[in-house]
Amino acid sequence: MFEHVLSVIIFLPILAGLLLLATPASRTIARFTGLITSLAVLVLSIDLYAGFKATGYLEFVENIPWVESLGVSYFLGVDGISLFILMAGSVLLPMVYFIFATKEKGYYANLLIVQGAMAGAVCAADMVLFYIFWEVMLLPVFFMLGLYGGPKRLPATLKITLYTIAGSLLMLAAIIYLGVSYHAQFNEWSFAMDKMAQLNLSGRVAAIAFFGFMIAFAIKIPLFPFHTWLPDAYTEAPTAATFVLSAIMAKIGVYGVIRFVVPVFDLEFARFAILLAYSGVIGMMYCGLAAITQKDFKRMLAFSSASHMGVIALGVFCMNLQALTGSIYQIVAHATSTGVLFLFAGILEERTNTRTIEDLGGIAAKAPVFAVYFAIAMLASVGLPGTSGFIGEFMIILGAIKFNTVIGVLAGTTLIIGVCYMLWMFQRVFFENSTARSENFKDLSLIEGLAFLPVIILIIVMGIYPHPFLSKITPSTALQFSQPQAIVSHAPATNAQDFGLTIEQK
Amino acid sequence: MTNDLMLLMPLIIVGAGAILLMIAATYDKFTHELAAFGSAGIFAFAFLVQLASCISGNVALFSEAFNGLLVVSSFSKAAGLIILACGFFTAMSSLSYFKQNSFCSSEYYSLTAFAASGMLLLTMAQELISVFIALEIMSLAIYILVGYDRKNVISTEAVLKYLMLGAFAGAFFTMGSAFVYGAVGSTKFVKIGQFLAANGFLQSSLMIGGAFFILVAFLFKAAAFPFHAWVVDVYDGASVPVTGYMATGLKTAIFAVFANFLVLDDTLHKGWINYLFYIAVFTMFVGNLIAIGQQSLKRMLAASGIVHSGYLLIALVAVSTTEFTGSVIAYYLAAYAASTLGIFTALSYLGGSGEARKTFEDFKGLAKKRPYSAAAISIFLLSMAGIPPTAGFMGKFYIITSAIDAGQVTLAVLGIVSSIISMWYYLRLIINMYFHEAEEQFNEPVLSSFAPVCTFILVICVFAISLYPIVV
Repeated sequence: MFEHVLSVIIFLPILAGLLLLATPASRTIARFTGLITSLAVLVLSIDLYAGFKATGYLEFVENIPWVESLGVSYFLGVDGISLFILMAGSVLLPMVYFIFATKEKGYYANLLIVQGAMAGAVCAADMVLFYIFWEVMLLPVFFMLGLYGGPKRLPATLKITLYTIAGSLLMLAAIIYLGVSYHAQFNEWSFAMDKMAQLNLSGRVAAIAFFGFMIAFAIKIPLFPFHTWLPDAYTEAPTAATFVLSAIMAKIGVYGVIRFVVPVFDLEFARFAILLAYSGVIGMMYCGLAAITQKDFKRMLAFSSASHMGVIALGVFCMNLQALTGSIYQIVAHATSTGVLFLFAGILEERTNTRTIEDLGGIAAKAPVFAVYFAIAMLASVGLPGTSGFIGEFMIILGAIKFNTVIGVLAGTTLIIGVCYMLWMFQRVFFENSTARSENFKDLSLIEGLAFLPVIILIIVMGIYPHPFLSKITPSTALQFSQPQAIVSHAPATNAQDFGLTIEQK
Repeated sequence: MTNDLMLLMPLIIVGAGAILLMIAATYDKFTHELAAFGSAGIFAFAFLVQLASCISGNVALFSEAFNGLLVVSSFSKAAGLIILACGFFTAMSSLSYFKQNSFCSSEYYSLTAFAASGMLLLTMAQELISVFIALEIMSLAIYILVGYDRKNVISTEAVLKYLMLGAFAGAFFTMGSAFVYGAVGSTKFVKIGQFLAANGFLQSSLMIGGAFFILVAFLFKAAAFPFHAWVVDVYDGASVPVTGYMATGLKTAIFAVFANFLVLDDTLHKGWINYLFYIAVFTMFVGNLIAIGQQSLKRMLAASGIVHSGYLLIALVAVSTTEFTGSVIAYYLAAYAASTLGIFTALSYLGGSGEARKTFEDFKGLAKKRPYSAAAISIFLLSMAGIPPTAGFMGKFYIITSAIDAGQVTLAVLGIVSSIISMWYYLRLIINMYFHEAEEQFNEPVLSSFAPVCTFILVICVFAISLYPIVV
């Protein structure tokens, strides 16, 4: 285990991607560079995972001063929360290079850059560094969507770009506000995340800064009512971009809430948690209902993904250990199941040239392996016991009931909607009579089957034996809840008392 | 004395170089290409001298030359560096530009050097008459440069507008100086500052009027609301390298002297801060509104220049806080200059003969045919939009930090909102270059490789300034 392993995980893909863009490499070279780079990152990540000691604090820390006059530093580290998002990215992304063999050079190069940038955003322990990676990870998606997307890609590209940039620039103002407050309170410049928890924030400006962060993350997750960019972007994006957006990038939004909002703005968070939890539940219901009526299966998966992100976000807003741990677990579970489902949708679209559910049918008879894989991923996505989805959802619902019975019951019952649209879609696409388009459907090739196999196995293992994963998550989530207590105790007494929704009265 | 001369050396080099170039231009054998190399050499040499004096750094920070008329500080040194770099890249991009356009003569390069000497003087001037002289040295050269394409109607219109309005601004400045002299009995910034500290700003009506006139002149030159209307037409009429030079070098000089004027007179700064607040806000939003509607790339860049003046005004509002004096402005100017010069350098060889490619539409599909140029332009645009990891982001980060640190949270948030709006017109060009099919070939040969090389150097600068943020 060497010292700068996180830097290598971040910058190896970025440099490989930039190199590909700068040279006139052919498609094959680009694909193999991407494949080798992402496999190298996977090996490093597994090594990292094995060396992770689950102390709850940041491990593999790298801290180099950067802008010393403002206390900005190149500060990296992983804890139990970020580790799993990092791992999800490293495990899932190599699959894309196996499955999509004939894309353009820019496709693979952008994919590499986005992989590095996402790893950077997850590992960054300095707020300015986090912001830089957060913005950088949007650019490859912008180019992939605009260059290789579907026919209506331009409006979708503009929508997602302007939406997310608007959110993140507001977050920049909030980040700077935190840094300046830290300077004012401790007479020292710093943007390190772990120091921000000591801040003593109160008043209207703190609430505004809280929403500055919250809106940026809500757009990325996306949380109701900031989800309107999602259906267009997910549907028009090329499969790999949709996969990246849904499987990992959306999770970084949730990660941001856990990392920034919960420890720093504990008072505001406590005050608005119920509001946020309701918006999570409404998002679940609304997107679930919207998914039922979709005629396009990619768009249906987009809405289903948004609905599941509502569950994950809800877990964070419930402010207890079970729900938060469940959220992290569900992040990995959802990344594997929905990510794979989007890849399957891409295969389906490539081989049948359609995305309309009605045009398809009887695929199970033509392609049994594909159908079985699809079924496993789908069942994990709806949370069948024995798959990874069940553990996370169970813990989230448990925590939600502890937090607020109404929300818990609403969340629990809404999960049924997920089963409705998924199974109905499965029935129409995979069973029934085959149509003209699905008649010559080829099953997965051996390479494709083997590429998907580890993830399918992971889905089942995570569903049956969650302990090794949970034991790495729990110390960090437990630490999240031990910190705020100390801060609440030295927070001004006036603020500690009005935990309700009192902001309107002021 | 030697020390003072050393500090003044860049100015002497550029001024003497400009005169030499002017004399040499009378000989037929001294072609405009030779003049280009000559002026580039002068700028490069002066830049190195300036850099040496920046690095050695042991000179007194407040060394007085010429009885306090000129003062060299680390801020003025940094501004000087930016101006000299701007001059160098302008000379280089002009070289490529005039391979495709034929109205050049050797005097053109002499005039860029004269303008640069005016700008350098402006960064150091600490006295109203010197400021006026420097302003006029700079402006007269720029007027001629704007109208250099004599046979072009748009160019002539531009120079007429600029000259008339600029003359008014100059007159306002002299009038203001006279008023201030009437109140204070001196034109030195230091004396004005002492007078204000002793008597307060609002006690003397002469002082209020004088400061108002001077501010009008500065705001006019800085293209701030409500004196911004000339910018779009003038930038559009000038040839591409000159527009780039005006947008970067001239703006650097103006903001340097503006900051010097406001910082030294702290009372003055406090007296005007409320007005500057509104001026900054209106400058940003009016600039954005103008930029959104443009079809021509040059006009969009001109309007975005107004927006960037607005960001710099934010820094000026916040400048009085002790920790950030000047360095934020210098950093932002460097970042802005690198990206703006870069895009104008790229346009100087991509624009085609007679600046045939003007509008957003004309650049459709550039990325397919000229991927490296399109990537460079995209990087410059992202830097202007303030997307990390480019220099523009760090510049914006400093400005917002200084604004919030000075307690101007509203101004900071409005600046952020303005940069969200500005995303639209920057992205629009990227979308045109990358996501549309090419309608033409972009296959005319690049006759000189200087501009492409300079574009590449500026791309590196954009990242280097961001990754090694040296705050002066």
